[in-house]
Amino acid sequence: MTVGLVVGIGVLTAANFVGESTRRETVKQMKNMLRSFDTVMIRPGASRTRGMVSLTNVPPTLKFEDATAIATQLPEIARVAPLQNAFDIDVKAGDRTDTTAVFGVSTSWLSIQGDEAVYGRLLTDEDMASRARVAVLGADVAKELFADESPVGRPIQLASVPFTVIGTLATRGAGPGGASLDDIILIPLTTAATRLFNRDYLTMLVAQLRDPEHTDAAVADITALLRQRHHLAPQALDDFTLSSPKAVATRVTEATSTLVRLVWGSGLLVTAIGAAMVIGIMLISVGERRSEIGLRRAIGATRADILVQFLLESLWASVGGAALGIFLGATLALALMSLQHTPTVLSGPFVGLAVTAAIGVGILAGLYPAWKAAHIDPVAALRA
Amino acid sequence: MISLRHVSKTYERADGARVDALKDVSLDIDQGEFVALRGVSGSGKSSLLNIIGCLDRPTVGSVRLDGLELARCPDQDLSHIRARAIGFIFQSFHLLPRLTAVENVELPLLYAGRRADRGKAFALLNRVGLAHRAGHFPTELSGGEQQRVAVARALINEPPTILADEPTGNLDSAAGGEVMQLLKGLHSEGRTILLVTHDDVLARIALRHVALANGCLVGLSTNSTALGPDAAART
Repeated sequence: MTVGLVVGIGVLTAANFVGESTRRETVKQMKNMLRSFDTVMIRPGASRTRGMVSLTNVPPTLKFEDATAIATQLPEIARVAPLQNAFDIDVKAGDRTDTTAVFGVSTSWLSIQGDEAVYGRLLTDEDMASRARVAVLGADVAKELFADESPVGRPIQLASVPFTVIGTLATRGAGPGGASLDDIILIPLTTAATRLFNRDYLTMLVAQLRDPEHTDAAVADITALLRQRHHLAPQALDDFTLSSPKAVATRVTEATSTLVRLVWGSGLLVTAIGAAMVIGIMLISVGERRSEIGLRRAIGATRADILVQFLLESLWASVGGAALGIFLGATLALALMSLQHTPTVLSGPFVGLAVTAAIGVGILAGLYPAWKAAHIDPVAALRA
Repeated sequence: MISLRHVSKTYERADGARVDALKDVSLDIDQGEFVALRGVSGSGKSSLLNIIGCLDRPTVGSVRLDGLELARCPDQDLSHIRARAIGFIFQSFHLLPRLTAVENVELPLLYAGRRADRGKAFALLNRVGLAHRAGHFPTELSGGEQQRVAVARALINEPPTILADEPTGNLDSAAGGEVMQLLKGLHSEGRTILLVTHDDVLARIALRHVALANGCLVGLSTNSTALGPDAAART
């Protein structure tokens, strides 16, 4: 009899669980990729490049010197991690081959990312200075090329350039979109620039802030500095793009939350309709049970007794409807999320909120009918 | 002891017209009396019964139950008096359809603030000859059986006064006779019985007749031919 409530609460439950699960998964993926949220990313090019940046799809406007200038001239920047990367690089180890992403990185990149070696060691400043042909393998690559053997000290070839494996990275899981973050090889940036890619520009610069509260000011300072260094006329557009992980995460989360809000809206609407149905049903019930009310009054029920009786009935209908709705909604959410292979977060506070709301609806929707029932004249009710 | 003094009841009908249902009625009913309240439809006998049964208050006048003035009692107090002091029997039974016979009998305990007592309800059903129908719902019972369940229900709180409003009006004569026998039995236990009826034959078992016409008391008589248990002793 409370179909409206069941459907309404069910939709709200599903929306909440799906929304919350998606949000958490997105934030987790962003964290996997970026590790820290107190950074600003600088990419070459005016517009945001679609897909993952690579040396092959960015303009050559962001230079090594830009990184140095940001690190030395802007006091709010703690450190700068310049990056050269390319995807689809052929890797060979003995008779095994793989195709993977190669990142030329500085030691500051490693510390911003918080990367850790499982076997061997990470890249050092000496590797940078000597342009050493050494490589650290991501977990997926290490497994692909060396299976369960230790790759440390083994020779590999990156696009036919010989390197020595010095370590492997701890696994990082999935990034945004679910792609693996372990399908990667790290080499010294200096080596990448001069011995592998032979490019003098960067695909990305990550600037870590001293105080994440002042992201906006840092973005403005970096913009001003780069425009000056790139000799951009005042009316010219930026030839680089700044973004903060926080902003990116917010944008990604907002995209899903727009949908979630829409579903929430319709869920609330259906719940309101459900509440109206409870009122209607309770009023009909009071009308149909006039003689019962008269009889109960005759055998000694007070107005308060009748009021409480009908309030409890309304409450029971609402809470029952809500419980069924939560159950159906949670089942739906679990089914949807398992299709997406996203772990589902069943939010305890939401269930509490939904039950509380249902109790509220039950009392509010029952109040008027119960009041009417309590004020029925027993003499008239018994005559009918 | 029920005592009415100069009781009038005026209703306002939906069209605004005023209807005098009772006009200046004064009446005393002693504990243990069996009174038949008689009159044609619209004579005011139901209004009088409702006032005596604490379901309604007089517009003017005084109603005392064992010395307690009811006319000025708050609604809640009247409910408590109904629960403990009065047992109602209605023409249309008024059993709750979703409760079994024994549950219907038990129901008034709830409003008298007493503990549920299935055993007592069974005993009362047994007394009205319906122990074997205890688990049945009202729709599964005949009219006579339903009214006997209603009699059992009226007794569960052991009220000193039973108000029966045309209790046999919906029953055939055999079933009506059984109900009247039950009322006679209750009277013999010392309960006050107030029976509303327009059936002369049924009224004859009452010891005293009160007649109403147009809201006025038109006749009080002691029935010397009463078939009540006391009647035999008197003659």
